[in-house]
Parts: sequence; C-alpha cells; structure tokens
Amino acid sequence: MRKIAAFGLLAGVLCTPVLAQNKIEFKEFTLDNGLHVIMHQDNSTPIVNTSVLYHVGSKNEQPDRTGFAHFFEHLMFEGTDNIDRGQYMNIIQGRGGTLNAFTSNDITFYYETLPSNELELALYMESERMLHSKVDLTGVETQREVVKEEYRQSYENRPYGTILPETLKRAYSAHPYRWAPIGSLDDLNAAQIEEFQQFYKDFYVPNNATLTIAGDIDYGQTEKWVKEYFSEIPKGTKEIYRPNIVEPKKTEEIRDVIYDNIQIPAVIQAYNLPKQTSPDSYAMNMLSTYLTGGNSSLMTKELVDKQQKALAVAAIPLELEDGGLFIMYGITNMGVAPEDLESEIDKLIKQVQEEGISDQDFAKLQNIMENNIVSSNSSMSGIGQNLAEAHVIYGDTDYINKTMENYSKVTQADIKRVANEYLNLTGRVVLYYLPKPKDGAQ
Amino acid sequence: MKRYILTYFMAFFVASLAFSQVDRSKFPEPGPAPEIKISDAETFTLDNGLKVFLVKNDKLPRVAFTLILDRDPLFEGDKAGLTGFVGQMMTSGTTSRTKDQLDEEIDFIGASLGASSTSISASALKKHQTKILDLMTDVLYNPVFPEEELEKLRKQTLTGLAQSKDNPNAISGRMAAAMVYGKDHPYGEVETEATVKNVTVQDVKDYYNTFFKPNIAYLAIVGDMDKKEAEKVVKEYFSAWKPGDVPKFEYELPVRPAKNEVGLSDRSTAAVQTVIDIVQPVELSIGDGEYISSRLLNQIFGGGSSSRLFMNLREDKGYTYGAYSSIGADRLVGEISANAAVRTEVTDSAVVEFIHEFNKIVDGGVTQEELDKAKAYLTGSFGRSLESPTTIANFALNIERYDLPADYYKTYLQKLNGTTVAEVNATAKKLIDPNKLYITAVGNADEIKDKLAQFGEVTMYDNMGFQAKELTADADATAETVLAKYLDAIGGKENARAVKTASMSIDADVMGTPLSIEMVYDFNGGKYAQKTLVSGNVMQTSSILEESGSVSAQGQSMDLTPDQFNEAKVNSYLFPEAWLEDLGFKATLEGLKDVDGTPGYKVVMESPAGAKLINYYDAETGLKIKNENPLTGDTFYKDYQEKGGVMLPMTWTIKSSMIPVPLEGKVSNVEINPALTEDDFK
Repeated sequence: MRKIAAFGLLAGVLCTPVLAQNKIEFKEFTLDNGLHVIMHQDNSTPIVNTSVLYHVGSKNEQPDRTGFAHFFEHLMFEGTDNIDRGQYMNIIQGRGGTLNAFTSNDITFYYETLPSNELELALYMESERMLHSKVDLTGVETQREVVKEEYRQSYENRPYGTILPETLKRAYSAHPYRWAPIGSLDDLNAAQIEEFQQFYKDFYVPNNATLTIAGDIDYGQTEKWVKEYFSEIPKGTKEIYRPNIVEPKKTEEIRDVIYDNIQIPAVIQAYNLPKQTSPDSYAMNMLSTYLTGGNSSLMTKELVDKQQKALAVAAIPLELEDGGLFIMYGITNMGVAPEDLESEIDKLIKQVQEEGISDQDFAKLQNIMENNIVSSNSSMSGIGQNLAEAHVIYGDTDYINKTMENYSKVTQADIKRVANEYLNLTGRVVLYYLPKPKDGAQ
Repeated sequence: MKRYILTYFMAFFVASLAFSQVDRSKFPEPGPAPEIKISDAETFTLDNGLKVFLVKNDKLPRVAFTLILDRDPLFEGDKAGLTGFVGQMMTSGTTSRTKDQLDEEIDFIGASLGASSTSISASALKKHQTKILDLMTDVLYNPVFPEEELEKLRKQTLTGLAQSKDNPNAISGRMAAAMVYGKDHPYGEVETEATVKNVTVQDVKDYYNTFFKPNIAYLAIVGDMDKKEAEKVVKEYFSAWKPGDVPKFEYELPVRPAKNEVGLSDRSTAAVQTVIDIVQPVELSIGDGEYISSRLLNQIFGGGSSSRLFMNLREDKGYTYGAYSSIGADRLVGEISANAAVRTEVTDSAVVEFIHEFNKIVDGGVTQEELDKAKAYLTGSFGRSLESPTTIANFALNIERYDLPADYYKTYLQKLNGTTVAEVNATAKKLIDPNKLYITAVGNADEIKDKLAQFGEVTMYDNMGFQAKELTADADATAETVLAKYLDAIGGKENARAVKTASMSIDADVMGTPLSIEMVYDFNGGKYAQKTLVSGNVMQTSSILEESGSVSAQGQSMDLTPDQFNEAKVNSYLFPEAWLEDLGFKATLEGLKDVDGTPGYKVVMESPAGAKLINYYDAETGLKIKNENPLTGDTFYKDYQEKGGVMLPMTWTIKSSMIPVPLEGKVSNVEINPALTEDDFK
C-alpha cells in the first residue's frame, strides 16, 4: 500500500489527512494498427473483464445525423461475418458471462465479464466486432424499433426523463454537446444504409479504440492472443473527426418552462463546467458532495429536512471532455412553488460563494472522497473502465493512481473559489418542469 | 529503395510468422477450467459464545463488520410487524448520541452503519476502524428506542401497508404465503393495521433484550485485518457483551394439498393483468443431496431469459413480459414458485402452460444440452460472485449454520459440473409434484374466476391474504331496492330532494402539507364547482355548468371535450340516487362485493349520454361506502353524520394512481341550501 501524504496548506489545519490509495499495476502496449491495449493482472478470482472503449460519442456526430453513436451501441450486438444475428449475447451468456455497453457524449464502451478460461472467446468476440460487424439493412431496421422503444421508455414515459436533452439544448449553442446521445429518431429514420456503413469505417477502427483486460490473466498469453485476434484489423484511413468548437461563455441566463407527465414540479439549474481534465473538476466534485451528497449535506439538511421545501435535491457534475455541465435539480414538496424553492437554492449557493465551507465540513468531504475513490476500484469491471478512461480522457493510464493525489490538492479556499467561478448565476440555464394540465374534470 | 522493400518483406514475414492467421469460423474453446481458490475464513469464538469469521482481504484499505443473530423464525401473532421496527429503532439514538449525532458521525468518516432485527452491519476505511467500532457497539449496547421514532416508523409502515393493498404483487405474496404456510406460521402471517398499532416501545425493548445475545451471534469481518488483530479488536469491543438464554421455536411442516387448489384475489377496478404465482412447499435446505442439482433444475426450468418458462410464455406465446421460477432452500421449509404477470384474457391459457411445463420437466426430464448451458451459466455466476469478499464470509457462515463439510464451497463447482442428467431428473421427480400445487391469481375475478375453476377448487382471498367472506347477494335485491335503502338510511328521499344547493370543504394532510378541497353543488342550476387548495393556494379549479365545463391549473385553463364533460357531469351530483328519473339515469345492480372488508352492493348508474357512475352501498346499513372511477381513482366514505336533515360522510379517503398515498380527508364545513352566486362557479 502506497500512502500519499497531502500537505495541509492552510495554517490551522493541524490534522493533515493522509489519503490512501492502493496502486493499480498494469501493462500496456500499442499494436501497429493503433489499437491501444491495457492489461491488469489480478489472480485472486478466476474471472476476466474485457472491454473496448471506442473514442466516439454523440459529439462526433453531424448535426443532422444525431443519435448515431448510441445507435451503433445497439447495432454492434447484431452479429458479424462469423457470429449469427442475435447470437452475440447468447454466446457470452452460454459460456457463463455477462455483458453490456453504454454511450456518452464522448465515448462508447463495451464490456463483458467471463470465467478467466474464456478470455480467448472474449477477445475473439471483440475482435469480430471491430473487424467486420454486420452493418446491414436488416440490423438497422431491427435496432431502429428497439431504440424507439428505449426512447419511449427512458425519455417520454419516464417522469423528468427529458431533463438531459432539454438542458443540453439550452446550455450549448455551438458545441455538439447541444444534443443528447439518444439523438433524434427523425435523423435515424432519414439516414441511408451507406451512412451507417461509413460511420463504422470512420470510428470503429483500432486506432480509435482502447482494449482493456483486467482479471485472472497471464500477461504473456494475453498479449499473444490480442495480437492474434486484433493485428489483422486494418487501421482507419481517415483522420478521426473530433469537433474543435469552443462553446462561447454565456452572459445571459436562459429560462424556460417544460410541461411534462409528472405530478410534482421540479427546478433544474445547469452551469457550464471546465474541461474534464481541468484541476477544478475535483473541487467541483467536492462542492457537489458538500451541497447534496448524503443526509447531512447542506441542501438536503436545509431544504429537505428543515424547511421541507423540497422532496429531494441533487447536484450532479456531468463531466465531459470539452467541458460538461453542473446540473442541479430540486423536486418541490407539495404546495411549494418552484420560484420559492429556486430562491432558497440560490440563497444556499450564495452562502457558499460568500462564506465558503467550515473546517469540519472540509474534513468530512475529504473523508467521503477518499472512501468513494477507494471503493471505485473494488471490481475488475470498475478497474477496467477506470484504466481505459484514464488513458483516453486523461492521456495517461497511470492517472488511475493519481486520483487521490489530485483530490488532496484541493483546498478549502478552492471550494469557495470554484463556487464563485462556475456557479455563475447570470450565465446559467434554469428550467421549470411543471405538470401537463390534465384532461378530465378532477 | 531496395532496402525499404526488404524491410517490408521482412516485416511481413515476421508478422505472419508471429501471428499466424486465426480461424475465425470457429469460436475459441474454453481453456482448462480455472482452479477456484477459495480461501478459508479464520474462525474463533469468544467466551460469551460469539463466533467470529475473518476473511482477510487487503486489496483495499477497507474493513466491514457484520453481526448476525441466528434465531429460529419468530411467530409475531398480534404484534406482527414488530421485527420490522427493531433495526431502525436500534440506529435511532443511544444513551450518549442522538440520532442526528449518530448520522453526522457516520457521515463524517464516509462510513455506513445499518441494522435489522437480526443484524448490525458497519463498514469504513481501515483508518476509521476504531471510530466505526465505537459507533457500532454503541448501537449494539446502548440503544434508547425513542418513542417518537417508533411513531414515525409506525406511520410509514401504515402508509406502506395502505399502498400495498393496491399492489398486486404484494397481494399475491400474502395470498401464496397464507395458502402454503397458513396464518399461524411465521412464514404465513402478515402484519395488519391492527397488529402494527399493537407494537409498543416495550415490545421492541423486550425483543432486543431477548435476542441480541452473543451466544446466538456470528460476527463476520471482511477486509484489511489479520487474525491477530481481529482477536484483539473483537475481544476489546465484544467480550463485554453478556450472554443469555434465547428461546427456541418449532413449527409444524406445511403439507401439500391433496390436489391442485386455486386461490383468487379480486382486483377488479384496475386490473388489466393477472399476477399468477404457482407455489408448493418443499423440504430443501442448503447442503442437502438435491441442493446443487436443484440449482441446475431451476436454471433450466425458469431461472433466466433462456429458460423454459420464459421461452414458452414470452417468446413463443407472448402472454407476458417475463415468466420465471425459483426453488427456495430454507432450514425450516423451502418453497417452489413459478410466476408471471399475464394479460387478463390469457390467464387460463397461461396456467395451462405453467402446469404443462411442470409436468414436462417432471415426466420428461431435461436434455444434456440444457444441462450443459445451465452448468456454464451457474459456473460463471459462481465465479463472479467470488469477486466480492462478502461471498467468502457467507460461505463460512453457511458452513457453520447448515453444518456443511468444510470443503463444501471449495468443491462446489466440481459437484455442479459432475451432476448428470439422471440426477437432475431424479431431483425434479423428488422435489416437484405437479398434482399438489397452489395456483394463485390476483386479477379481475369477474373475468377469470370461472375459467380458473378447471384447475381446482377456487377459494377467494382478500387483499391481506385472509379468506374472503362468502358474499351472496340477497336474492330479491335489485338496483332499486339498494338505492331506496340508501335514501332511507340518509334521511329519506324527500329530505334528499330538498337539498337544492350545498357547499362542502374537505381538509387533508399530505406529508405535512395541508390540502383542502372545496365543492359547491347547485342542483336546479345543473352546476358544480370544485377547488383544490394546497397550503391555502389554489392549485386547481374545475367547474361543470349545464352544458359545458372547464378545468384550470398552474395558470392554464382548458375547456372539456364533450366526452370529458359527460364523464364529469355524471359525477357532479350530491344525491343522484334521489333524482334518477329526473336525470334519466339507468341503474343496474352488479352484485355484492367486498369493499375493504365490508360487503357492499355495486350499482352502476348510466347517464343518457352513456357516462357511468359506479357506487357501492353497505349491504347492512345501506349507506354509500365507495365511489369507483376508473379515470380518477376510488373514494371511500365513512363516519356519516346528520347535516341539514340528511346523513353525509365526514371522512373521504381518496385512492388514485395519481397520488402516492391514499388521501384521508375530513369534512370541515358543510352548508345545506346556502345561497350561491355565479362567482361560486367561476
């Protein structure tokens, strides 16, 4: 166990916290076709987690073809030249594994956990996906229906389900973050099969992918198999499209009302964040925990327990490569007007901006962060994902071992500073979610 | 140039040599099965009887302590619900810490601490070990059980209970348990309003004093700690814990019915689905000869989305979103269950398929291919479960509690993978009897009761799992007699017709926020208006005039469509029963129903426009006890009092899918025949 001492910078902080993080060992290499490979060996349990991170998300889409990246997450389970349609999941599950995938604004991530004697199968399956997935009409038609159902279930029928797309739409005017990964069904309907095939050629290439293997493995054997299965996959011929668009700083507040199928009104506020790799991200994360993390946090205690103006409040930093959003939402208690709750939220934000946070609360924050970081590396799938993101987003796989160190650099004064710098009350988005007027008399 | 080409060829050669092309037409075969290394838990016992298991895992600087009480199942009888309170009462404050202080101290170190009636668990980073042990043992030794905390929990429990009466899965669970175990068995009894109200702080204290004893306890420690330290720490914190005599309980084993029996719970209003659960008790405990083969059997039968039940009822027939089974193992008695929520109209077809699958697996057995897939699946999930150190602690606990051989889990996969088709088939025959099943259904009884009779004798149950009273309508009851009895009960038809106008206010409390509903009726003018106020602010108003109606809320106003108007209109009279002919309403009697325990006649009145008004009238008193509205929910009436010559209910309970909890409103103001103005209907 390596212990990293954080030196208390503030006079008066006598008890210097010692933030402890266990070192995650790993080996990495890059194939000639550009595929980056990270391996982490842990033989304590005979399982292996295999994942591929494709550095493509909704921000790499064209404005009239939104939803492509997420659509591919579905399409990529359709099968390959050698894997029959619909069999991808059955094969993994039939060998005792579990699998899934997700898409964000920045990345698409596929992963499976299998018994460790099935590593070769996992590598085969992922290499098939990268080499020659079925991108054909049948698959596109099938998955369009599935994505439509997902849209209905997760956005239309879920109370407050549209918060993310509605917020992004207003928080960004220029950057492709202005649309959500689910994108537009119209765009998907309008797209021709050639466009899907082109997207696969552009982004599902080894030089845009990171393969991570974590678990009960032998480094030598793993490297050998990786080379056998992945070396023949040709490198992409084009430069990967990455938008180079700087979102202009907002100088005016944007306010709107959304009528939704809900019973209880909600207030949403969104503030633009710096790039994910900015050191201020750590302070903003701690600030969100201070505001709404747990029963004894500032807003939960004040607005939910004491004043009972809110049923729930939450502050969620949506960290993104080119600068994400700090999203706050409060669900009003019965009979409380959204305006009333909003002004109380603003009061508390101003309180932090003016007074900062107490020594006791700062120490508590450090303890909570430490506990969270330690727990985030407790499973092979967690480690696999953290390693891949460290490499792709932070450009340094060893970043996984520096999280704690970075958090321990945040000072009490930083929390007050970032609250002032980023929670900009005049350049934010404020949305009220109100119940749709009911039809029927009662 | 030449050199370049040479290098190119060299590279090509080397590359093709090193990475000979793989055959992509075949799936790679699995490597040799990995050796599952299951480390032994260290064990030791304190003088007071506390058995300690230590699973050292220093991958992460964390440590978790779980204290488990191993007592016999408890029959709670008229205090049912007691054990549900114990855990939260334990963490509601100690002699030296209030609940707030306890919460703050736990949060401060980023730790977690929780309790139930048979456990206390705590986890924290290693460096906060001393603090978390201080907090955990404070909760264990010095709980104060504050009265106000019990009242808060009781309120939450009663709210949950009220909600669960409308929850088909909860109803199904209670009915199935009642049929399998009977109400006098700890697994069959249910908590009711009455039993929950019986529980006192003294009961919680008595429970604590009786059962929180080290001699029936296990302490599992998982994390960054070696045996030497564990012995020291456990001695320091737990040796002061005093042992005591703990009572033991025995229960009769439930017997299977002589032949299949059907239990049906009616949920006529809202049901578009029937929740089916087919159950039977089974003598099966962890470690039994059939235990491992029963895991495989269940996996093939209904354990997942490629199992037989799912493939038949969902993939092939499309009756349901999912159909599953379980074979529960328990030291006392286990239970086999096969369940699905199906569309009302295919209820009987679904039961046919379930029974077909039961028979098929018992008579025809399983195939080698099915068995191989089930083995692969269970081997994989066993392997993945080992990633969590808690699994190892559970293994150690099970070995002790179920008296298993020490290497039971070390050789688990060998036993699993060595199981043959013949063994699984023998287990199916031994455990399952397709002719002695309890078939339970929660759904629209009017539509499914007759169809279920083919599977066995049908017994009706209420929503709490008690056998429903046999309800037989009076032979000469008609809609007219029921409505006449109602009018007599409230003071006579003439008195009711004398009420030309009325105004009424109802007050309710929604999670601490006052809510009131104001209603005004004008019979001659054919008008009705309703206002909903929250904390004194008008949230919604609706007004129904002779020919039109409108609703406004949140600053938006809209006119009703003709259908909506007709629907609203039929609901806008105070005593429609007294004006049937005048209004042209047709009344039909639809039998005697159970209205939350009270037999009530169901009468449907239909307006000339085709809108329906559905009311229930107490068979005994004649009073109206329920209004049923498929769109807006049900309203229950009670506490009738005389107001201006007529009897009116003073308590209105509104249940609707649109509000999270049933709303109990008290009538705070009634005026009969007040003077009303146009403004009252705006």
